[in-house]
Amino acid sequence: MADAIVQVSPVWAVLAPLGLLLFALAGAGLNGALVGRSVGRPFLSGASAPLAEAARLLRQRRQVTVAADVLLWRVGAGGLVVVALLKILVIPLGPWTLADLDVGVVWFNTMDVMIWALFWLIGWGANSAHSLVGGYRFLSLAVAYELPLMFALITPAVAAQSLRVGDVVTAQQDLWFVIWMPIAFVIFCSSVIAFSSWGPYATAVGRDIAGGFLTDVSGVDRLLILAGRYAVLTAGAAFAVPLFLGGGAGPLLPDWLWTIVKTALVLAAFIAIRHRVPTIRPDRFAEVAWIIVLPAALLQVLIVAIVATITLGS
Amino acid sequence: MGVTSQVARLAATAVHVLIVEVPGWSETRMLLEAELNRRGWISALSPADADLLAICGTPGEELRAVCDRVWNQLPGPRTLVNFTASARIAVSLDAAVADLVDDSRQRHDAVSRSRSSVPDDSQPDAVGHEEHGAHEMAPADADAGSVAARPDMHEGMHMADGADEAGMDHAGMGHENMEMLIHGIPLAGGGDDRDGLEMDVLTVPFGPVLSHWPAGLVVECVLQGDVIVSAEARILAAASRSAKLETPIAAEPRQRIIRLCDQSVQLLALAGWGSAAQSACRLRDAAVGGVVMSDQAVALDRLRRRVERSVVLRWSLKGVNVDVASKDTDTTALSGNKFSGDIRLRLIGWLREATELAGTGKFRMSPLTGAEAAQETQNRLATLPELLSGTDLGTARLLIAGLGLDTSAVPSYDASPHNAHHSDANGGHSVHGGAVDDGAIHG
Repeated sequence: MADAIVQVSPVWAVLAPLGLLLFALAGAGLNGALVGRSVGRPFLSGASAPLAEAARLLRQRRQVTVAADVLLWRVGAGGLVVVALLKILVIPLGPWTLADLDVGVVWFNTMDVMIWALFWLIGWGANSAHSLVGGYRFLSLAVAYELPLMFALITPAVAAQSLRVGDVVTAQQDLWFVIWMPIAFVIFCSSVIAFSSWGPYATAVGRDIAGGFLTDVSGVDRLLILAGRYAVLTAGAAFAVPLFLGGGAGPLLPDWLWTIVKTALVLAAFIAIRHRVPTIRPDRFAEVAWIIVLPAALLQVLIVAIVATITLGS
Repeated sequence: MGVTSQVARLAATAVHVLIVEVPGWSETRMLLEAELNRRGWISALSPADADLLAICGTPGEELRAVCDRVWNQLPGPRTLVNFTASARIAVSLDAAVADLVDDSRQRHDAVSRSRSSVPDDSQPDAVGHEEHGAHEMAPADADAGSVAARPDMHEGMHMADGADEAGMDHAGMGHENMEMLIHGIPLAGGGDDRDGLEMDVLTVPFGPVLSHWPAGLVVECVLQGDVIVSAEARILAAASRSAKLETPIAAEPRQRIIRLCDQSVQLLALAGWGSAAQSACRLRDAAVGGVVMSDQAVALDRLRRRVERSVVLRWSLKGVNVDVASKDTDTTALSGNKFSGDIRLRLIGWLREATELAGTGKFRMSPLTGAEAAQETQNRLATLPELLSGTDLGTARLLIAGLGLDTSAVPSYDASPHNAHHSDANGGHSVHGGAVDDGAIHG
């Protein structure tokens, strides 16, 4: 485990979309199973729901609203999957990574800011009221979660004294960061759920606004958006592993398998939370995010910075 | 069996259904929803997400025109079922599946729609649209459980439809900009919002085709962003009183329990608590299905306690109150309910009342007569404009669900042909504020 993270040949990048797709599909399957159980159907019968949904959407014709901003609408719909792929570039799978950027943590943050634009474009492009309200709602949510997320991302980097994801993993050899920076971990996780417009933060696609930015999306566009949401959720779950959960560290299993197991567990938790917690109204959430969560995140960085300085000095 | 038909078969295992409830047909809608859950089908939130348009009941003139527009907004493959009796729901849905997977039929439907998109859209004409509505939903089509793929769509109407609907999104104060038309839509005008900032002003009708929404209700809203500046409510009625479902599924007090559970389902779903809404839905469906009610009391009470305990729900619903300041409406609007206007307390009250009814089988106070119920609904409708102005869309939806409107109670009226025509010329009633140019589909 002492080995540093190595960058592998770009050829392996062809496997990245495949892995992401499988994870997203597994996540969607788990969600389908949980939905199935909640309506009293057998747990497993719902697990195939994402396949049926994909078939349905591939077969469905794509519809355009009057005076839609088609270009921007499509950019938004297709962009989510791309952003998720760009995110996982910097995530090491065991000892291997596709891009060992010296600013890997910032790279991830840049990509999640792209999601602001993408969800807004989807909401804007349809030229319809519910869709637009969905876009507004996502932006107001983003204003609430983004700053705490930035500080949550910075915290492990401060402890590792590097923005390189590989260095963050190496710095956790003795103690996983989740143990001594739990606040940052919780903030990171809830921000991932928020930027995926998922679970308690899914108000931008809420039932009260007829599906929000999804209201007028049909066919393959809808498939791309739904798949993209699962993909960014997966990417977020996967990034929690090198950042807080010690990367590939673990007994018995090889490092790469530990990365996959940990990612799967985090993703399963993200999926499951949707079925337990009610949606939080965006206006109420902003208040809490700025008054309670943001100071908590700052406090966490402060503590970590002090500890890091002391251990460095000794 | 080719790949295409296998994909179609797989797709048909999870059909998305857009339900239109005509006032008075809530029981049909509930039976349909129960059947959808049993099959693992999904209730669609918008036409763009739907494969199947399920109309529960016989709509009146205006509502029929709305259904027609909604039908045009289904992307396809699509099919339509009109339920006018509670029986044969399963049979009709099976027929709908057969229709959805019938590739040649769907292709024919698609081709005839695309052909009609030949651009004669330079002048959207409302007369043509009216004619279209009258033809499409001719009463002969509306027999119980009839399935129709409707490959016979009118030509040249679709662009007019789309432009009409978009007009509603954007009309608003835009009249001074009449020379600035984009696809026949005037630009939205501006106005100061509640914080004194200039915002676009949109006139958007909400309803009658929305999920978790009182049947037939249309609320015409002037919106700035997602804040309602002013609102006006009315109800699009069923075709006629006599067309109403002959016998209710259940007698009192079961009827009342079903209604309370249904109201709870709508409110919980809008509050974004899917799992609790689903529990309430299962209790409701059990009651519809005729289980012994005293057995349900425990489950109802458990749900009530779960709702009561939820911190997030309490926080989300804090301050959402259906009481309006004016005293005269206050007492009547909430007659029969001793709890306050706070919608969380109202929700808990509904569940508590349902528990008591299920446990004892007795009303604490005598149920409202038909005339009283009609009066109550009228009173509540009258408070809507005041209640909704200044609220955001999410709160407005919660408030409307919190009122527990029984739109079937108000005396139905048949919109005269003149009225129907008039409102159509003004853009009619959109479904969800969405504007679909159904001519420009890309296959």
